[in-house]
Amino acid sequence: MLRKTFLAAGLAGLLAVTACSDGGGGDSGGSTLTYLTFETPSLTSTFWDNSIKAAQAEAPGVKINRITAPSTDRDAYAKQLQASGQFPDLLQSITPSNFVGAGLLKPYDEAWVDANFLLPQGNALKGEVYIPPTNSQIIPEVFYNKELFAKAGITGPPKNWAEFLDVCAKLKAAGVTPFTLGGGDPFAASMPLVGVFSADILGKNPNWLRDRYAGKVKFSDPDVVAAVEKYRTLVSGGYFDKGALGVKYADSITQFTGGKAAMYPMGSWFLGSAPKESADNFGAFPWPTDDGSVVIPFVVGGSMAISAKTKDPEGATRFAQAWSLNPANLKLLIEGDGAFPMLKGKTLADYGVTVTKVFEDSFAYVTADNTKVNAIGWATNDDALPPGLNDQFYAASQALFTSGDVKAEMAKLDQAWTTATNGPLTQGRARTPSRGPGPLTRT
Amino acid sequence: MLSRKSRADGGLALLAALALGLYLVFLVLPLLLSLRGSFTNENPLRATNEFVGLRNYREMAGDDQLRASLVFTLTLAVGVTLAANALGVAFALLLNRTRLSYRVMRTLAFLPQVLSGVIVGFVWQTILTQDGLLNNVLMSVGLLDEPYPWLGTPRAALFSIGAVVTWVLSGFTTVVYLAALQSVPIELNDMATMDGVRGTQRFRQVTWPMIAPGTTISVTISLITVLKLYDIIAVLTGGGPANSTQSTALYIVRLAFTSDRLGYASAVAMLLLALSAVLALAVTGALRRREVSL
Repeated sequence: MLRKTFLAAGLAGLLAVTACSDGGGGDSGGSTLTYLTFETPSLTSTFWDNSIKAAQAEAPGVKINRITAPSTDRDAYAKQLQASGQFPDLLQSITPSNFVGAGLLKPYDEAWVDANFLLPQGNALKGEVYIPPTNSQIIPEVFYNKELFAKAGITGPPKNWAEFLDVCAKLKAAGVTPFTLGGGDPFAASMPLVGVFSADILGKNPNWLRDRYAGKVKFSDPDVVAAVEKYRTLVSGGYFDKGALGVKYADSITQFTGGKAAMYPMGSWFLGSAPKESADNFGAFPWPTDDGSVVIPFVVGGSMAISAKTKDPEGATRFAQAWSLNPANLKLLIEGDGAFPMLKGKTLADYGVTVTKVFEDSFAYVTADNTKVNAIGWATNDDALPPGLNDQFYAASQALFTSGDVKAEMAKLDQAWTTATNGPLTQGRARTPSRGPGPLTRT
Repeated sequence: MLSRKSRADGGLALLAALALGLYLVFLVLPLLLSLRGSFTNENPLRATNEFVGLRNYREMAGDDQLRASLVFTLTLAVGVTLAANALGVAFALLLNRTRLSYRVMRTLAFLPQVLSGVIVGFVWQTILTQDGLLNNVLMSVGLLDEPYPWLGTPRAALFSIGAVVTWVLSGFTTVVYLAALQSVPIELNDMATMDGVRGTQRFRQVTWPMIAPGTTISVTISLITVLKLYDIIAVLTGGGPANSTQSTALYIVRLAFTSDRLGYASAVAMLLLALSAVLALAVTGALRRREVSL
């Protein structure tokens, strides 16, 4: 352990900052558990401290030492902590597939998960649930500005790919930039690629990722290349701002809400950023398919994972369960992060939330009986990409903005896949078919 | 009873031992462990690992991302080292005065060097982003019709990072050259003036040779600083767009903690260390020989 500590210190010494803070510590005795969180404009330090106190009230005797990841990449930080022998007892919103292979996470009790969540297997790995499936997102939806659509003489959202191209052409002809893209942040740059991949590849073969693990399909297969060419069609058509790769995610939100572009492919968390006073001016539609069938790229997220090595598994579980079932925590995620709640037996009204029409319309895609697929690059269940490949997928999205050689970029992804899956932790990993997201039944 | 000298020697030995201990624990030991790790398939999530011999080193030969990161890092290192040192010399010549206002300006010139790389990255990101300060200013004065993607294309991002790192390093190089300038004997300048040697001729024939030791230090440290650059790039571009500004240091951290390939990351770190050492020794040797010849 000492050796790994020093080795990690040597490499992690390249990092400039780490952040750490105490918060919400209880004083009722028992062991102290470390809880890895992260902060965003929506999920503030106050939110975490308050949510911890509320969960502690339901799980008396559990003391919490909150640590905060230096960026939103909590997976990388959790790995650094593991490498230096400081793996937290509780880890908020990590990607379980990165840690399960090493036996670092403890699954939740199946009966408890089945009893409390609409999609108990929504983010399961080989049937085990490591993060309570408390909420979900659509990644991406295409948000649109109704006023700008009207200005270009467009009467409603497109229903299929041909109409989508027609909308783009009409907007451009009317002097309106069709898309804004936060291409300066790789995750935001990936949205169009996730969209075309989900609609054209996963919509036809929801098991594509599992087939990729089995070596039955490749990124450089003709059908994938043809799908990705559609993204290039949008780029080469001049439908994105030329400088889109220099736009940060935060700026892309203000560009879109400020009326500088008519459409915005983004995760449904954008719903939390849409200004309330003008929210009715925004609508949303799923990334269009050729035949007009609805395909929803879907991700079931959740709350916290529990370390398999925690010194107090019983206390950690009580705290995690209490936190996960607290409607107050989900209220903030619904309003601030556009999360779709997945607790069984609750309606939106039960959370005391005020949501916009575009939120309700988007939520309807979640509850409707339609084709839901695990959004590539975002899924945390059996369809998660191997470690490190997300970054390559995002980088490919940026590269395709300037490179027309789709086949070469897809071949690079295949090469990266081979490298990523050659490690002993990923070989033959997680290939047991899961139940997948499927339609929701509101109860 | 110990004499005062013996006690002083003992104190010095204790301090030296402490310094040596810190050096061994925080530099030499991690380095040796990293070297050992480079021959394994170490993964940050696993308790054990296996010896893989030279496999990691062989893999580097076919690693396109590594090659691209090295090309980027070396290009940046050469460009920034030249630019930062040219700026340093220029600033030092301008600020080599004793008046209070010049002393204040010297402090200002050094300011970028004391700022955290993370803060520098965030500040310049605000300036250089598409809707940032620079584009707004250039558009408001009519120099641009539309925003320029300073961070949005591989070439522009390379130049933007280069400019920011040059700005940071110029604080250091200015101080080094100022110190070197102040070590030039006044009599030498006076004699040159009496001989009618002025302006650029005096700089070329008197000042430049006399500040050669400062040049050696400044160039070498600038080069090493850029070769291991991580923080500014991580914040400013995150290595993008499309990994085009991924420095080797950034690639190492990603390999270790995103791709879980600590062993391979250690091998790449060894390569970077060797490359930095060879370059630093070569440059130092060349500049030292230049000092003698001048």
